[in-house]
Amino acid sequence: MIFHGEAMKNKKRIPAYYWRRASQLVCLALFFFLFIRTDYSGRDEIEYAVNILFRIDPLLALSASVAAGFFIVLMLPAVVTLLLTLILGRFFCGWVCPMGTLLDGCHTMASPQGQGRERKYRFLKFYLLGFLLVGAWFGLPLAGYVDPFSILVRSLALAVDPALNALATTFFTYTYEQAPAWVNGLTEPLYTFLKATILPFNQKYYDLTVLSLVILLVVFLLERLERRFFCRNICPLGALFAVTARFSLLRGRAGTKCGTCRNCRDVCRMGAIDEERNISPLDCNLCLDCIHHCPGNKISFQFGGLHKNRPTFALSRRSFVGSLALGAALPFFLKSRTLARQADPLLIRPPGALSEEEFIGRCVRCGECMKVCIGNGLQPAFLQGGLEGMFSPVLKARTGYCEYNCTLCGQVCPSGAIRKLALEEKQKVKIGNACFDRNRCLPYAKGIPCMVCEEHCPTPDKAIKFREVVVENSRGEKVSVKQPYLVDELCVGCGICETKCPLPGVSAVMVTSAGESRNPAQALPDTGNTGYP
Amino acid sequence: MDRREFLRQVALWSAGLSVSVPHFRIGAALAAESQPSLLTSATGKDYQELVDRVLGPLGGMGKFVRRGDKVVVKPNIGWDRNPGQAANTHPLVVRALVERALDAGAGEVLVFDRTCNEERRCYVNSGMEDALAGIKDNRLKFFHPDERKYVPVDIERGKAVSRLEIYRDALEADSYINVPVAKHHGLSRLTLGLKNSMGVLGGNRGAMHHNLGQKLADLATVIRPKLTVIDATRILLNNGPQGGDLGDVRVLDTLVASVDPVAADAYATTLFGLKPEEIESTVAAYGMGLGEMDLTKIRIIKA
Repeated sequence: MIFHGEAMKNKKRIPAYYWRRASQLVCLALFFFLFIRTDYSGRDEIEYAVNILFRIDPLLALSASVAAGFFIVLMLPAVVTLLLTLILGRFFCGWVCPMGTLLDGCHTMASPQGQGRERKYRFLKFYLLGFLLVGAWFGLPLAGYVDPFSILVRSLALAVDPALNALATTFFTYTYEQAPAWVNGLTEPLYTFLKATILPFNQKYYDLTVLSLVILLVVFLLERLERRFFCRNICPLGALFAVTARFSLLRGRAGTKCGTCRNCRDVCRMGAIDEERNISPLDCNLCLDCIHHCPGNKISFQFGGLHKNRPTFALSRRSFVGSLALGAALPFFLKSRTLARQADPLLIRPPGALSEEEFIGRCVRCGECMKVCIGNGLQPAFLQGGLEGMFSPVLKARTGYCEYNCTLCGQVCPSGAIRKLALEEKQKVKIGNACFDRNRCLPYAKGIPCMVCEEHCPTPDKAIKFREVVVENSRGEKVSVKQPYLVDELCVGCGICETKCPLPGVSAVMVTSAGESRNPAQALPDTGNTGYP
Repeated sequence: MDRREFLRQVALWSAGLSVSVPHFRIGAALAAESQPSLLTSATGKDYQELVDRVLGPLGGMGKFVRRGDKVVVKPNIGWDRNPGQAANTHPLVVRALVERALDAGAGEVLVFDRTCNEERRCYVNSGMEDALAGIKDNRLKFFHPDERKYVPVDIERGKAVSRLEIYRDALEADSYINVPVAKHHGLSRLTLGLKNSMGVLGGNRGAMHHNLGQKLADLATVIRPKLTVIDATRILLNNGPQGGDLGDVRVLDTLVASVDPVAADAYATTLFGLKPEEIESTVAAYGMGLGEMDLTKIRIIKA
């Protein structure tokens, strides 16, 4: 245990770091509350959504705006965060950030030596920041890959939350089937309670579950090297805060003439205090632990340190320019891929998604739309959208579909990559087009009646219609069956036909992005059908 | 085997104490009834009152629900559509039936459906959630089916299907009341009472669509409602079973009720200007002796 300052004992006041902890806990609780409530709640309009977290994130606001070529008004709250940083420094990292709070929560993982007094990797985050922003400008927007909120929400939504539900289901199925009645008298109400509170409504299935989890785990395992390793060295949002905090008004001032005492350095989770006990605003996240642990009560935080102590970033100019050059050059390699010539036909974007280039530029890979998708249709892309498209949402219609009366994904998207659409508008957006595989479709291939696709087709004038024909089935009998066909003009590409196709394995009806309304180049040939009035 | 033995099997299987799948073979109950099937039909704007009127000649709810019974009221809540669109059972009809069952002293009344669209959206948009929220009685349980509670059941008399996964509460109910909405269906032409029983099935229900008529009849050997009330307050004439276009809806303000599930379907078919023999499931169920489809042999009372 670290020595407690005598000065603190004389004071009746609540230690300053208590306030910081309280703020962290409140913000974390709020974060989890919003995360859980990012779901259908019985109303078409979502009441709460965790997207506010992304809208106060200046890194994502900057990156998405740079990619869009104009400031995205939806992300205006991020400016407030930056202004506060100009006053208070990196308070956000210490007082608000849920990722930081969770990392603090497992600081016992850190090895005792791992206080990270050397600043070996400190500069990495600045290179990363430069690379991301220049990349965003030239068409390789990757900020969402490494933004702390994106990592956190995405991993919780795609990996932790579904796994938690699977665990609960497995356990309570076991007790339901195997345990005696008195046990069920306890477990069943508990299950009901958990379902009503923290568990998701039903089991969701996602791609990239393991990858999402691994990325989150790596962030946590880096704590083994030093406390807040991610925040100190990698976090590009932290880098942006550091750049801003260089001009901040509130500054920590440590003591001089402290003898051999290094308590403040030992306790600093950000490694912000150097040998001369200068507190660097580039690193200090105002956790205020040092105040508490200073035996001489010499540390204070005061406004007005503006003119002095404006530390340098200690960057290598060559490396920094190199990272910018990389960000500028890499995008041009992307333009020579086959993907640039012919997009993956299975790259079906959510309704309201902007044109592909704009969409990828704005999408912050937060996973919100996939979390909220009640049809479990939206999945994180792996490489279908190219290297720059990983974790962006695609509709994978065999696993789930786009619910006809639902507009939630557009409501939660923090950057407007998916536009918020009114229901009537959304129902007219075509995200793809279905087509039948007559070699598999039962009425065609086997003369067996089916029509599950037609039954589920949600447009008021069904896009899937049928013809009644007499065919020879595989037993050589003449039978009358109804064979489905598609009216392109009516199909919205929701994919419910593909989801519900009762064939095992590959569906006999498949949706592709052909005809998607966001891309005129994908237009289908005119069949003379009028479609909607 | 009697019903009690069957329930014992379900319980043992559910508890993991038995690996043999429960199976149905209720011979006596399927014996041809000597009396002609009784069917009532009533028309009126007040759906609460309409329910009382249509049940009257059948002996009222007390005939079907005894004190302490476990009652299942099974509406169609399959689609994310509002009451006006005629894709789901009208919530006021369901509500009136639930209230009558409670009045009759039911121990509990369960209302559920396995939906086709997203579960919560269906329950809300159908108006069911609002309508049933008005009933302040903790004997009413309106819930989403629990994945754990589907029980595999051998369909002994099945011609097209030999095993189905069926919701446990539907099997265990003392009184099962089927409340379908009458509407168009692309494959089966109409969906009525027998088709509505698919809402208690687990597993891949799409597979039911191959030889649907016979499979529905097979299912009807196991799910045997004590009462069928067909909601034809408004019917969907086209683009069924989910519709969405009010131009396809016709308001009839009519309810049809019968103890005989086949007779109820047969009569409701005529509301669409069709004949009972045009509906495969009706023909198949009649062929298996599950009820009467000949309208001349059904005693029809306009209540």
